This record gives sequence, C-alpha cells and structure tokens, in this order.
Amino acid sequence: MSAPVSIEGLTVAYGDQVSLHDVSLDVPAGTVLALVGESGSGKSTLAHAASRLLPPNARILGGTISVGGTDMAALTGHELRSARGSTVAYLPQDALAALNPVMRIGRQIAEVFTAANGRSDAAEMAVEMLRRVSIRDPGQVARKYPHQLSGGMRQRVMIAIALAHRPQLLIADEPTTALDVTVQAEVLELVAELQRDTGVTVIWITHDLSVVKEIADTVAVLYGGRVAEHCAADELFAAARHPYTLGLLGSFGGARTAAPKERFTAIPGSPPLRGGVPGCPFHPRCTRAEDRCRSEAPPLLGGVACHVVAREATGTGAGETGMTA
Amino acid sequence: MAEHLSGWPTGQAKQLAVRLLLGCLTVLAVLTLTFVLQYAVPGDVARSIAGPRATPQLLAQIRDRLHLDAPLWDQYWRYLRGVLSGNLGESYVQKQPVRSLIAARLPATLLLGVTALVVEIALGGALGVWEALRGRRSTLLTCLNTGLLATPTFALGYLFLLVFAYQLAVLPITTGADAAHLVMPAVVLGLSGVPYYSSVVRDSMTATLASSHVRTAVAKGLPRWTVIRRHVLRCALSPVVTMAGMDIAVFLSGVVFVENVFGWPGIGQLQDQAFNNSDRPLLMGTVIVAAVLVVFGNLLADVIRVAVDPRARQEASA
Amino acid sequence: MIIETRSLHKAYGKHTALRDVSIGVRPGTTLGIVGESGSGKSTVARLMAGLERPTSGEVLLDGVPLPKRGRALRAARRRLGFVFQDPYASLDPRFTLEQIVGEPLRAHGLWQDGGRDRVDELLRAVGMGGIDPRSRAGEFSGGQRQRLCVARAIATRPHLVICDEPTSALDVSVQAQILNLLLDLQESLGVSYVLISHDIDVVRRMSDDIVVMRSGEVRESGPCTEVLADPRDEYTRTLLDAMPGRRGQEIR
Repeated sequence: MSAPVSIEGLTVAYGDQVSLHDVSLDVPAGTVLALVGESGSGKSTLAHAASRLLPPNARILGGTISVGGTDMAALTGHELRSARGSTVAYLPQDALAALNPVMRIGRQIAEVFTAANGRSDAAEMAVEMLRRVSIRDPGQVARKYPHQLSGGMRQRVMIAIALAHRPQLLIADEPTTALDVTVQAEVLELVAELQRDTGVTVIWITHDLSVVKEIADTVAVLYGGRVAEHCAADELFAAARHPYTLGLLGSFGGARTAAPKERFTAIPGSPPLRGGVPGCPFHPRCTRAEDRCRSEAPPLLGGVACHVVAREATGTGAGETGMTA
Repeated sequence: MAEHLSGWPTGQAKQLAVRLLLGCLTVLAVLTLTFVLQYAVPGDVARSIAGPRATPQLLAQIRDRLHLDAPLWDQYWRYLRGVLSGNLGESYVQKQPVRSLIAARLPATLLLGVTALVVEIALGGALGVWEALRGRRSTLLTCLNTGLLATPTFALGYLFLLVFAYQLAVLPITTGADAAHLVMPAVVLGLSGVPYYSSVVRDSMTATLASSHVRTAVAKGLPRWTVIRRHVLRCALSPVVTMAGMDIAVFLSGVVFVENVFGWPGIGQLQDQAFNNSDRPLLMGTVIVAAVLVVFGNLLADVIRVAVDPRARQEASA
Repeated sequence: MIIETRSLHKAYGKHTALRDVSIGVRPGTTLGIVGESGSGKSTVARLMAGLERPTSGEVLLDGVPLPKRGRALRAARRRLGFVFQDPYASLDPRFTLEQIVGEPLRAHGLWQDGGRDRVDELLRAVGMGGIDPRSRAGEFSGGQRQRLCVARAIATRPHLVICDEPTSALDVSVQAQILNLLLDLQESLGVSYVLISHDIDVVRRMSDDIVVMRSGEVRESGPCTEVLADPRDEYTRTLLDAMPGRRGQEIR
C-alpha cells in the first residue's frame, strides 16, 4: 500500500517553547525521505507528531499531516487508535527501552494482531513476522525476553512490530545510530528489502550523511525547528545550497576524499536549544548572514530556506517574494 | 541450554543457600542481642514468679532451678542449646512450654498480618494508580497520606475503637478472634502502611507511563486500558513486592500495639504480657519467632520478585 | 615509542576483554583504534592510562613500565592526558572553568608556579580565551565542555593524550570543531594521541597509524592509509564494506 505523505505548515510546541515552526515537506509514495538534523532541529518532534506519540506537554498548534489522504494531526479517539500502527508506524532508536522487559518477544508482536485475529493465529503470525525480518530460529526467539537478545536482533523485533500492520508510512527515528556499523548495514539492508516488498513510504531520521547516501531518495534538512533544505538525495550531495547543509557536507561528506590531517570544515558555534528564535535559526553561525536574516525567517523557496540563496537565484534585490532589503 | 530450564540455573540455587545461611546467622544475632538486653531490664525474676509474699527459701529454690545465679554465658549456652533442639523453655508465669503458647497464638497474628498486607497493597496500590493516571498530584491524597504517616498506629487504633465500636457501634468493642473482630485491627495496621505503597506505586507508574516501551504499546494501536493493564501495571509491580517483604518487619512491631489496643489474641499481646511480667523465656520465644518471620518473609519476597520479573533472574544468577 | 603495550591481557572474572594486545604509538603521531562494541578498545585505553591494571602483559610509557601505585604512578600520570566521551558526565557542572582546568595542576603540585596564568593560557589554546574563568561548567554547551576537557587533559603538558570517542556524544556540526582543535594542538604542542572511535572516517582523517580490534584481539595494524586502502584482514574488509554510502566510492 503506497501512500504519498504531505506535511503542511506543521507547528508544534512544548509548553510555550516552539519546537517546530511552519514545517512543510512531502514524500512521494513508496520512497524514502531522509530527515537530517541535530539537537534542537525538531526532527524527533516531527517524528512524534506525525505518529501522534507526542508527550502530554506537547501540542500541535497548527498544520496538517496527510498520509494517503488521512490527516493524522486531526484524528482523535477511536479513529486515532485505528490509525496507529496501520496508517503510521514508529520505529524508535533504543530498541531495548522500547520493548516491555517482562513480556516475551512473541507476545509483544502478537499483540498487534490479537485484536483482529484471535490468540493462536496471532502467535503464529508473530513467528512469521520474525522470519520476515531475517531472524534465524524465530520460534525460539519468540519465547525469549528482550534483555536476552542482541542489539541488532532487538531492532529487528521493533521492525517486525512496526511493519506488522502493513502501515502506509514508517517513521524511523534514528534506529541504527546506536548500533555497530556491521549490524547497521544489515538493518539498512533489511529495511530496504522490506520497503521494496511492501511499498511503504519511509521517513528516516538520521544525523549521519553516509546513511542518507545509502538509503534516501529525497532529503530534508531541519535546523532550529525549520526546514533548511529539501531536495532529491543526489542533488543534495552534488549541489546543496543552504549554508548549513554545505557546512555539514564539508565536515564529513567529503571525509573520504580529504588528505590525512587535513582540517575539517567546521561550522562555528553550537546548534540552538529548542525554541523559535526570530529570523533564520542558522544566522548566529552563518558566514553569509545579513541584517534581514536576523529579523525575518526565510521562506522555503525552491527547496531552500535562505534569503541570500534566494536573492542570488533570481539575481535581483527583491527576490521572488517581492520583499526588499 | 540454560534458557530451557525457564531461567533457574544452579547459580541461583547457590545464591538461595547463601541467603538462607545468612538468615540463620541473623536470627542468631537477634537472639544474642535480646538475651543481653534482657539483663538490662530491671526486675527480679524469681520474685515475679513467686509473687510478692514469697519466702526467701522459695526464692532460692526458684533461682536454683532456673540456674539464675549461674554465669551469664552459662545461661546463654543452655538457652541456645534448648532453642536449637526446639525447646523454647517454659514460661515463668504461665507454667507452660513457651512453644505451645506461641503456637496457639501465631495463626492469629499471621492472619492479621496477611489481611493487613492485603488492605495495604490494595488500598495503597489503588490510590497510587489513581494519582499516577490522573497526571497531577492530589492535594487531598497528600494530606491523607501525611496524616496517616503522622498518626502512631496505636493512636489510630484507639480512634477507630472510639468511632466505630463505641460511638457508631458497627464493630465489636470486646476482644475476640472472628471475622468481625478482624476488621478494625487489620484496617488500622494496613492504613499505617498505605502512604508508603501509594507513593511507591505512583512513582513507579508515573515513570513507567513515560517510558519508551509504553509508547511502543500505544503506537501499536492498543486500547488505553489494555496498555495500562498489560504494560504498565506489571512493570510497576516489582517495587511493591520488595516493599511487602520489608513490611513483614514493620508489621511485627506494629502488631504489638494493635493487638493490645483491640485485644486481638496474637503473639503481640503475648509479648506485651511477657515483657510486663519479666517472663524471659516467653519474651525470648516471641522475639525468635518474630526474627525468623522477618528473615524468611524477606527471602520469600525476593523469590517472588525474581519469579515476577525475568530481568531479576539474570541479576540473581550473575 | 611514546607508549607501548606488550602482550596485554585483561580478564574480568571469566570474561576475557583483551588477548595478547601489542601496539605502540610513535612520538608526535596519532594512533587510531577502531572496533565495534566488545572489541576491547576502551579497555586498552584504560589500561594505557593506568586506570586499571592488566591481568598480564605490560604497558610501557617512554620505555619504562607503568608503575603500579603510589608516587611513581602519579608522576607517570602527569605525562598522560585523558579525554572521555561524554562531556556532560565527565565534568562537574558546578565547578568553575578555573577549577576544572586547574585541577590537574593542583593535583601535581604545579599550581604555585603561575597556575592561574597557565589556566588562562590553556583556555585560550582551546578557543575559550575570552570567557571568565569563574563561570561554571554547567552554563556551557556540549562542544564547549569538551573543549574544557581537552584543556584539562593537556594542562600538565602530557606527552600523550588518550581520547576515547571524544566526539561521539556531540552534535555533528560541533564534532569537526573538536577534531580540528585536537589537530591544532598536535601541531603546536607535538603531543601524541591515541584516538579511539567506532567511526572509521574520523580515524582515517586524524590518524597516522591504525589498529583494528575485534573481541579483544588486534586483527590488523599499520599505517592508516595503507591498512584502509588495502586491508589484509577479512574483518577489516567487512568493516569497510559495512560502512554505508560507499557504493561507487573509493577510500584513498
């Protein structure tokens, strides 16, 4: 079931601190969008908002999250509960914390099915899911507890739970960040395979550009709660435009071709703490910042949110928006 | 292979044996300490047995028979030998074997203790769950808990007696050992422990509710009550079991007051009488029994905790 | 060799963390140690720093075996610096910058001789020159705190600084700053590094020599460019192949 995903004007706040400001993205059906961001970028907030798993002190202040026609942001009550798992599924970073420590693996997967299918069928379906995520000896693993499995296996179990209901959208929140590189490679391969089989649309959150290169069709870069750049993955690596993206790529994207002991291209300063600052969130660290950047947040135009880039693209002082300096 | 044995490898059996041994040593230490403290208590044993009008000859006879003039360590050694062979001595005052006196009263105390524990866990647990699900602290509950903590058990007991037995006359005021007589002492003993359980359950549940695995359960689309019942409550259970184990000790001190206030015929009452009469064998006997109950109660609680929480099995055998 | 291990063996009860590890760091260079979890790389770091003692084998600092205890060990520690992974956990947030950076000086009796000036010098060296040394560590970001950790590590002018995943807990855009700082300090002070990381790209860029570890053993070692360009050990090859995004790319 391939569904296109379209997020429009999403604004989320924790208490009165705005974490995501007017974020708009779209993901073509059956493709993988990599969401790149650091701390304070709002990437986790976006993940939780889209899967409606925000903590109680967070609120969606505005915007829509359309998954195959259903607006996740607007759902409540019974509809929301049915949408969970079947419309949008969430894959977290820490698989050990995400599994019930006192319940056997098989049961935790079967739970997803029991509501619709009855207990014994559900148990079989759970074992089948374990097989689908390439776990050897799925029958035995089903009887174990989470702490008895390795990190990689636990993450596969989480993938099994997430995909059990054949969701339309899978939101993967840095699921391989804490895994060893060889285990990460296996998990990436698994997800790619399952994605091909089921056609699920994926939003994959990461801070690792090499993972982006490996799996992404499109990329959105978040910074300080806003979208900085949004384009096809190839385009990002070949011709990124936003100063932040360029900074990131300079630091590591080119790591494999740099000479030993060559200095890294570093972005000065630190990422902002959560909260909507006036103007462009990147301006304190941007070498190209101008006066306008301090007061006005740049709109997302042609896939980039930067006043300077927008001006240069049109070659005039006014830019496409008609605003003058 | 070990997994197939449902998680009870030999390392754990060894641990259990060590705990048992330590338990016995603890009981021995309690015994010794009580024996020593006995001698700090003023009172002439012989006189209290024989009564105020005893003749010096009678007193001398009693002292001789009970080896009261023998050196301390001799008396101690005699006693220890006796205990280990199951003989707890004879009550100075009631002229009966201590063992049978205690055995007659022990079931009543155990019944009281278990009922009070049920009251405590059920009420404290329910309040804790309610407050956790509410999301906010309840001023009313905080006041109630603080009030219960501040009120000594015996004071609460007398209060209950006054209100329910005397003024409202819904519960009996006399002594007795049937169900109607059990209500007040069990409730009073239970209430004094409710604040602890409600805090522990509330904190444990609040932490569990915010945890990642509960978020996973919600993300699966499970109904709210299923999530709470299946994923939250079981995880919040572990600290309750540990507390219950420790409670056995608390009960055995509270029981003395409660049994005396309500006239419940258990070993608490027996202990009180023994102390007032300087009836050393009886006193020592009750102390030993109490120590054994505490040590093995804690051990039982640990065993239950390991059975309930599979992570604890791993820790236990490590 | 600034520091060398010979047949280092470390066991914790029944679990063997290190098996026959013999590696060395040439003066003024960086040795990168890579491996996955359980490879023993952090254990090697702790043994090199004298934080733990080996079950067998020895650690030689400047050709002399690392003392076991007492004044001799403390004197040896003066020649070693250590930067830990988590800048939030390895600094007391209530301590002032002066206290943090000055602590090694005080511990080794170097404070009297212009300690305060030395603190200023160190803060400048790590790019925190203009900041009031009486401010508390808790006021600073992860990257800044890690700079403090570096300043603390080089306070006693050590010959060798051991860095155990110095940037793993930092935001990506800040990691480069810290690595640049380490490179700058190596150039200006001639300090040698042992750099432990799970990130091969970082190690490649920072190191002269590399050691690849797995399950407590050294699988391969040698000059960094050579090993990574043409790995001889199968595990090294597996690690390199597992790195994401390599399709169509070559490591030079």
